[in-house]
Amino acid sequence: MSAALAPRSDFPLLASNPGLHYLDSAATSQKPRVVLDALRDFYETANANPHRGAYALSALATERYHDARHTIARFVGLADSDCLIFTRGTTESMNFVASAWGPSNVQAGDEIIITALEHHANFVPWQQLALATGATLRIVELTDRQTIDLDHLRDLLSPRTRVVALTHVSNAVGAITPLAEAVRLIRSRSAAIIVVDGAQAVPHLPVHFDTLDVDFYAFSGHKLLGPMGIGCLIGRRALLESMSPYQFGGDMIEWVHDTHSTWNVIPHKFEAGTPNAADAVALAAAVRYLESLGMDNVRAHELALLELADARVRELPGVTVYGPPPAERSGVVSFSLADVHPHDLATILDQHGVCVRAGHHCAQPLMRRLGVSATARASFYVYSDASDVEALVHALQAAQALFATADSPT
Amino acid sequence: MSSVSSLAAMYQEALLAHHRAPRNKRELAAPTGVAVHKNPVCGDEIRVMVRVEDGRLADVSFGGQSCSVGTASASLMTEAVQGLPVREALAMADNLDAMLSGDPEAVLPESLAPLRSVAPFAGRHGCARLPWTGLREALAGSRLTGG
Repeated sequence: MSAALAPRSDFPLLASNPGLHYLDSAATSQKPRVVLDALRDFYETANANPHRGAYALSALATERYHDARHTIARFVGLADSDCLIFTRGTTESMNFVASAWGPSNVQAGDEIIITALEHHANFVPWQQLALATGATLRIVELTDRQTIDLDHLRDLLSPRTRVVALTHVSNAVGAITPLAEAVRLIRSRSAAIIVVDGAQAVPHLPVHFDTLDVDFYAFSGHKLLGPMGIGCLIGRRALLESMSPYQFGGDMIEWVHDTHSTWNVIPHKFEAGTPNAADAVALAAAVRYLESLGMDNVRAHELALLELADARVRELPGVTVYGPPPAERSGVVSFSLADVHPHDLATILDQHGVCVRAGHHCAQPLMRRLGVSATARASFYVYSDASDVEALVHALQAAQALFATADSPT
Repeated sequence: MSSVSSLAAMYQEALLAHHRAPRNKRELAAPTGVAVHKNPVCGDEIRVMVRVEDGRLADVSFGGQSCSVGTASASLMTEAVQGLPVREALAMADNLDAMLSGDPEAVLPESLAPLRSVAPFAGRHGCARLPWTGLREALAGSRLTGG
């Protein structure tokens, strides 16, 4: 397995930079031409304010927006597409749940469980909710392979647990959470709602919301070939209907009286203001593109590349690779090289045309537990191929040579 | 656009030598100002300690952990500002900022020349600035405490 799953020529940025080895798809993916075309097409052929005008063009915009929601819901195995709310991304989705559901459902003495693997977006909102309500924040620790320790989760669960927020796939090390097992455990020992960060799962694995038995599930469009600034929050209908609006304004109201107002039905109740219809339409195009590749094929492609990269990187002297074995990881290799700071590494790799992320990956609680301030992270997607892996390894060797020369006595 | 040759220039021996064997990476006895400055982008952290006597930097040192650029910048900085009047040390910090921002008029002592090689790497300016920001804060704290 060496070829890319999706041709590089489908991606204008990659096509015009043949020497570029983009290995930072966990941060954001490149965009295929069909997505850029869909964006342009919306503005050129259907641009009007959805849900507003009593004229054909507005109706067309409304229809495109509605179809996009339907397409994306189908892609993630959600039958009731009204339960999919468009947000700016996973970060807004998590803040939405914590601030719209949290204060009226969590109080002093309650417990909120998160994990040490979380991205700050699924960590800080819950930490702040705990601080604001007087609830206790509990953090599930990790195994020595940086996976969620389910035994510890079991110990922390109790009738006091109101929320368990956990990631489906770790952004920093790629660890895939055994979600079905975690959900069974949570359901058997608490009445907590389960909130899942799917930002790194939906782009890389087949996801079927209706079979997950979770309460909220969030993901971002830009990591799955879509544009920046659009993402989704899926919630159970009963929960969404019981919740108060997150923001107030146009579109989300049913009737505005002088002294009070009533709310539109879901999903509109949670989409105040002019919706981001163009990005939703472009995200739907991204989803159709992924469907044409097949998500099982996406996973198989990434796993093959991951196994290759994992083995090749481990051959380097002084390397530490974090996370579980490739079979339990999405397409991420998070690593450190002895004596080369990840930040230096990223600069040197950049000069070889290799883009990797160096830093704490918005996961400082995890970095503390690893005892490092940063790691380097290479991540793959449908357009990655074996030449990207070889370029990475070659550049890593160059970095080691540079620092070894400097370290030798003169 | 930077190139492999400018990369070689940045990681020239002078800079790497300071990374390898940083000067003044030590605790300071009786500091009049201490500042911990973090780079939120990468999580690096540099602690700058100063002892100001009669308006001069009688001693300056640093600690913490950072990449080669941050460490070398801290090492070069502590050597360059040692003994200087506070006013001149602050001016040097301003000139370093100006140099990184591409100001050809920025005057820096020859000893800080290795830091010029960082200028083409915008993504690393924060690393080079980290200890200098710490120095400013340590000196500000020092003034507040009358040091």
